[in-house]
Amino acid sequence: MNTANAQHGDDYVPPSTAQPFPRIELRFGHPSRGYDPGEWVTVEYCIEGLNGERPRALERSALWYTEGKGEEDLGVHSFERFATAETIDRVVPEGTFAIQLPTSPLSYEGVIVKIRWCIRLRVYFESGRDHVSEHVFNVGRVPPSILP
Amino acid sequence: MRFPRFFTKKRGHRRTDSHAWGSFAEGLFYALLVGAGVVFGLLLVTGTVSYAPADPDSVVLQRGYEWWMWLLTLLIPVALLAFGGSGLVRVVRAWGKSQEHRAAASRTVILEGLAGASPAVAGHPGVPSCDNLENSPGIVLRYRLPLESPENWTLVGFGLFALLWNAVVVVLAVGVGADLIGGTTDWLLIGLLVPFVAVGVGGVVLFVRAAVLSTSVGPTHVEISDHPLVPGMSYDVRLGQGGAHLFRSIDLGLELEETATFRQGTDTRTQRLVVRRVPVSRWQRVQPVPGGSFEARVAVTIPADAMHSFSSENNAVQWRIVVRALPDRWPEFTRVFPVVVLPVKALVTTAISETVQALE
Repeated sequence: MNTANAQHGDDYVPPSTAQPFPRIELRFGHPSRGYDPGEWVTVEYCIEGLNGERPRALERSALWYTEGKGEEDLGVHSFERFATAETIDRVVPEGTFAIQLPTSPLSYEGVIVKIRWCIRLRVYFESGRDHVSEHVFNVGRVPPSILP
Repeated sequence: MRFPRFFTKKRGHRRTDSHAWGSFAEGLFYALLVGAGVVFGLLLVTGTVSYAPADPDSVVLQRGYEWWMWLLTLLIPVALLAFGGSGLVRVVRAWGKSQEHRAAASRTVILEGLAGASPAVAGHPGVPSCDNLENSPGIVLRYRLPLESPENWTLVGFGLFALLWNAVVVVLAVGVGADLIGGTTDWLLIGLLVPFVAVGVGGVVLFVRAAVLSTSVGPTHVEISDHPLVPGMSYDVRLGQGGAHLFRSIDLGLELEETATFRQGTDTRTQRLVVRRVPVSRWQRVQPVPGGSFEARVAVTIPADAMHSFSSENNAVQWRIVVRALPDRWPEFTRVFPVVVLPVKALVTTAISETVQALE
């Protein structure tokens, strides 16, 4: 019950936790979430349900990672960490940012190798717990692979 | 606060339990190694008071070691300290940092080391380097592509196995021979020698067969007019196939292969899977010119929607030109020539920036 109610979109919430986790709404500049390599990605986000708890730090990153049969590989394209009181107030509870995508790697839906791009927002609380929200988008227009 | 569970799901780096507890346990393990190294080393360096059993009234307070004895003695504690210390530093540096934070801190290393030994193409993260593919000029076309043939590795493997196994057989045979000359018969050793000889002969046969197969069909050469390749573009490819035999068929095509490396228990395994085949040309009843080779020149078009080449530490997507030939009296063989395909937009961007630089 908790898991179903606690998960919103791409947010990951550990089950069996008593404390409420925030909900992060994120909106891409392109509603289709499809971008060309080299294009700018604009993002607006809003963190709801903080219930008065003050975040200690916020991390915003754009990255790709692999999925599939192999071990996960990860490449961070853009990473920002806001950990001081002044900077936290500027980026919480809502904020916008933009990043220019690199030329590669493109999003890929293979059979045993998949490449995904995503925006990750990670909120750290004074209590020591943290909450991560992941929002996948596509780079390029490579069709999915199917076995010949 | 959640306490760690003793039974958690784990596959490779992914696990279901708390990362903090995992890192703590990892740090504790390395700290124990360092502690063991320190204690062990101190005991060895300071030594213990000893006495001679034959003369219990005399106590030995000092013992002399040669320098090599010191090296040998300190090998284990130094290894413990080095292994535990480096692990402890790694755990401390990563403590409290998210996966993204750690990756960002070592971003330069990640991007440069995406392809493991081969670095990425400049400006194209994740695209493997072309250096090893472009260092050999062709006779007719611009580049001669290097061969990546699994048959060669099979041949090397069979050769090594035959060599090592038969070395053991020779040692056993010398022992049996010496016994026989000396007038004794060790039936156990003779019984052991028989299956060893059989396996050794089998190894030699396999090696000779693989060597004959790889040399009798003649070399395969592939040249290409340009490299790296771009989706939607066509390239001239020249195929040369040597050999004195008739080939029932020779096929040339493009293939896209995915490679995934994963851990299964303590084993590291790699799975390869061809996910796309693009036939280019097929020749039937080919008879190479005596003393020469079969030559053909074809146009190869990279599909416009092709995925670019990609390589990271554990995953890869690789394009290759594949030649499959069926000789008249020999089994079919396959020869593989890897190529690098760039992302289509990447090249357009590069071309624009180069044009702008040229205009400036």
